Amino acid sequence: MESEEKIDYEKLGFKSGLEIHQQLDTKKLFCNCPSVLRQDAPDFTIKRKLHAVAGESGEVDVAAKHEAEKEKEFVYEGYDTTCLVELDEMPPYEINQEALKIALQVAIFLNATILPTTQIMRKTVIDGSNTSGFQRTVLIARDGWIITKTGRIGIQSICLEEDAARIIERKKDSSVYRLDRLGIPLIEIATNPDMHEPEQVKEAALYIGKILRSCKIKRGIGTIRQDLNLSIKGEDRIEIKGFQEPSMMVKTINNEIARQLAVLKSGKRIHGEVRNALPDGSTEFLRPMPGADRMYPETDLPLLKISRDLINEVKRTLPELREDLEKDLKKIGLNEEMIKILFKQNKIDDFKELLEIYNEPTLIAKILLVFPKEIAAHEKKSVDEISEILNKEVMVLIAESLKSKKISREQIKQVLEKIVHGEEPEKAIEFKKHEGNVEEEVMKIIKSKPGLSENAYMGLVMKELKGKINGGEAMELIRKLVK
Amino acid sequence: MEKTAAKPGDYVEVHLTKLIYEGILLESPENEKGTVLLKLDSGYNIGFNKKDILKIVLMKKAREKEKGEFEVKKNPEKKNVAMIITGGTIASVLDTKTGGVHPLQKPEDFFRFYPELFEKVNVAKIEIPFMKSSEDMDFKDWQKIAKTTVELLNDNNIQGVIITHGTDTLHYTSSALSFFIKDLNKPVILTYSQRSIDRASSDANLNLQCSALAAISDIAEVSLVGHGTSNDDFCYSMPGTKVRKLHTSRRDAFKVVNDKPFAKIFPDKIERISEWKIRNKNKAKLDAKFEEKVALVKIYPGQNPDILDYYSKKGYKGIVLELTGLGHAPTKKSRNSWTLKLKEIQKKGIVVCATSQCIFGKVDPLVYSNGREILATGVIYLEDMLSETAFVKLGWVLGHEEWKKNKKIVKEKMLENIAGEFNKRLEE
Repeated sequence: MESEEKIDYEKLGFKSGLEIHQQLDTKKLFCNCPSVLRQDAPDFTIKRKLHAVAGESGEVDVAAKHEAEKEKEFVYEGYDTTCLVELDEMPPYEINQEALKIALQVAIFLNATILPTTQIMRKTVIDGSNTSGFQRTVLIARDGWIITKTGRIGIQSICLEEDAARIIERKKDSSVYRLDRLGIPLIEIATNPDMHEPEQVKEAALYIGKILRSCKIKRGIGTIRQDLNLSIKGEDRIEIKGFQEPSMMVKTINNEIARQLAVLKSGKRIHGEVRNALPDGSTEFLRPMPGADRMYPETDLPLLKISRDLINEVKRTLPELREDLEKDLKKIGLNEEMIKILFKQNKIDDFKELLEIYNEPTLIAKILLVFPKEIAAHEKKSVDEISEILNKEVMVLIAESLKSKKISREQIKQVLEKIVHGEEPEKAIEFKKHEGNVEEEVMKIIKSKPGLSENAYMGLVMKELKGKINGGEAMELIRKLVK
Repeated sequence: MEKTAAKPGDYVEVHLTKLIYEGILLESPENEKGTVLLKLDSGYNIGFNKKDILKIVLMKKAREKEKGEFEVKKNPEKKNVAMIITGGTIASVLDTKTGGVHPLQKPEDFFRFYPELFEKVNVAKIEIPFMKSSEDMDFKDWQKIAKTTVELLNDNNIQGVIITHGTDTLHYTSSALSFFIKDLNKPVILTYSQRSIDRASSDANLNLQCSALAAISDIAEVSLVGHGTSNDDFCYSMPGTKVRKLHTSRRDAFKVVNDKPFAKIFPDKIERISEWKIRNKNKAKLDAKFEEKVALVKIYPGQNPDILDYYSKKGYKGIVLELTGLGHAPTKKSRNSWTLKLKEIQKKGIVVCATSQCIFGKVDPLVYSNGREILATGVIYLEDMLSETAFVKLGWVLGHEEWKKNKKIVKEKMLENIAGEFNKRLEE
C-alpha cells in the first residue's frame, strides 16, 4: 500500500526516534557463558510456567497481562554453553566488565553523560523469552548527541541489557525457546524523537551503526536490531520493532503513515502499541505498549558505580572510528580486501598488537588472515577451528620469534602447520641448526657455486631445502641475495 | 544538601550544580545511605551522591494506598486449610514505590500474590506468629510454630496446615516439628520459595499449589513440599526428618537423603512413592521441650580436640559430631588425637553422638580400627540420620528431664525411630 503522492511530513507533524540494539562480542552480561549460538540438538530441556504478578499499585502491567493471559508452558533448550544463571536457578554474577567498557566507549562516542551511580533493573517480560520473567537492563548514559548531514540528533539514553532467549517453535499451548542467546550483552541506544523525515531516520541509523562497528560488537544477521518510534501530530506513539536493514526504513515508515492516515480517516484514533516490521515494508500488531511500571530493581546485585578512573581508562583506550582506522590501514599498505576481512573477523586489536611487536603490516595481515585460511582449506577444517588453535598467544609468539630472528618469514607457515598438527608452540618454533635460517642456507648454496644463473640456483636450492621453502619464496630469496 | 520535605515515593526534582533530574524518590539501599536513588519516568533507577545534590524539591506527594483493595476470597465449597506464615523469601516483596524489600504483612497480601492457592482450597485461617529469615530462628521459634500448628490441627474445621518458611534452616524446623508434635492427625506441610515472589518465574506458585493439594490429602505427616526438579511440573512431599537443603539457589534445593519422598505432587494429582501415616481422629499433642546447650560440630583434618573443652566449660549437655567417612575422627595415631578428650568429656556427662559429613549413607564404626577406637569412647553412632536432624533430636531428647538423667535412656531414645529419622533399608 505504498503511497503514490508525496507525503508532507511537516504538515503531519511527523516525529520519529530510533532504538538500536546491538549484540556485543563478549561473554554473557551476567554469567561467564560464551555468547555462542548453537545449531546442534540441545543437551537438555526444562519446562517452566510464568504468571503475571500485580505491581504495587495492584495493577498488572497491561503488556505483562497481555502476555500472561496466554497461560502457556515454556520449554527451554539448554547446552553445555549455558549455566544455572540462564536457567533462572542462580543469582546473576556481577556485570561483565568488558561489556560495560564497550558501553562506555559508545557513550563517549555519542557525547553522552555517563551516570556515576546507576541501578541494574528488571524489566518484566513474560512472553517466555526470559526464564526469569524479566530482562535485566541498566541505564549507562543519557543526553548525548550526534551531528548528521540533516542536523543534530539527541541521544536520549544508552543502556546495557541482556538479550532474550531465541524462539524456536510457537505452539498453541506452549513455546520452545533456546537459551543460547539469553544473556548475550546488548547495547541499546535510543535517540530523541528529533527526526522529521524518514531519510533522516535512515541516515542516523547508518551513522550510529558506523560508531558501533568500531567497537567490539558481534557481526552478521540478527546481531543488530533496530526499532522505530513514530508519531503524527496529536496521536499516540507507535513502536515498530525488528528492522534488520536501515534500507527498509523509509518504505516502512511511509507505509505506517499511510496506515495511520487510513485509521484516522475512518474516525478512529491511533493507540500506542508495538508493531512488528515485516520484510515487505508493512507492519503487524505485536503487543500493547509497556509501561514504566514494569521496571523494578535487580535486588540480587549492588548499585553499579561507574568510577572516574574507569571512564578515564576507557577514554585512553578508545577505539578509532572505523573510517579513520580504514584510512590508517590503507596508509600502511593493506589492501581493501584485507581491511574488510580484518574488520569482519574482529581482528583489528590483534593486528595492532602484533604490529607493535613486528612492524610489517602486510606480513602480519598474512599471518593473521591468509595462513589460517590456507591451512584450514588444506586440513579440511573450518577457519574458526583453526583460529581456535592458532589463537592470539600463538600469533604473539610468532611475531616475537620473527623479531628475535628465531624463525624466518619463510618458516612461518610451516610453524603454524606444526602447531595445528598438535605440536607445542614453543617446540614448533625450534628448528634444527641446518633448518635454522633458510636465508643463510640459500646464501651458503650461492656462495658454494658462484656465478650461476638465478634458475640454476633455484634448482639447487629446491633440491637442498625441499619442504622448508616453496618455489616463490626461494626465488624471492635468490633474487635478493644474487646481486 | 538542603533538608527536603520529600519522602520515598514522592515525585521530586533533584537539583545538581548543572542538571536537574525528575522522578520518584526511592529508599536508599541499606548499605548505601550516602546515595539518593531516583526512579526516572522511563522506569530506570539512578543514584546520586548526597554531596553532589544541591536540593531535592517536592513536586507531588505519593498517592496514598487505597485500603481494602484486596480481600481474601472465600471459597466455602472448597476444603479448609490454615496457613502459618513465618517469613523468608516466600513472604517478602519488593515495594516498587520505595525500592525496599519488605515482608508481606496482611492476609490480603498473600491473596494478591498467590491467587492460585486460594482457588484450590479455602484458606480459613492465616497465622503470623513472627516474620523472620530462617537463619535468624532458633528452637524458641520452632516451639512457637509447633504450638500454633497443634492448635490448628485440633480445630475440626481445618483439614491441614501449610507453613511457609525461609529455606536456609527449613529442614531444621521440619525436623523439630516432626519430634515436637505427637499423635499427628493431619498433614503438616512446610514450603518455601527460592525465587522471590515478585517475579513471574517464582517457584512459590507451584510449591503452594502442590502444598494446597498435600494439605487436604490423607498424608498425616510433617512433610516438606517443594520442586522435584528444575521443571515447573511437580513437587515432592518429603519426610521432615530425612530432608536437607542441598543447593544454594536451585528450585529443587531440597532432597530426601537416605530415604524416599512420600509422594510426587502435581497441581492436580498425587502419586504415591512410599508409605505414609493416614489422616486420623487423634488429638495432636505438643511435646516441645528442648535443651538449648546442644552443639553441632564438624570435624576437619588436624583439628585440635581442645574445642571440646570450650563446650564442656560452657555447660553443654550434648554434642553431635559430624565425623568423616563412615564415622571417623583423628585417633591416637594422629598428632591431635580426639580419643582421650572424647572419653574425658563424656565422663563429665556430655552426650556425644556421631553422624557423617558425607551426608549420604550410614555411619559404621566397625569397619576400621579407627572407627572402633572412637566407638570405644562411648560415642553414640546415629546410623543414617542427618546431622541436622540429629542436632534437633538431641536437643529434644535432652530437653526431657526424665530421660536426661540416665545416659542409657538417652542412648535408647537417640536410637529409637521416633519420627522416621532412621531408615533400615538404604537403597541409594
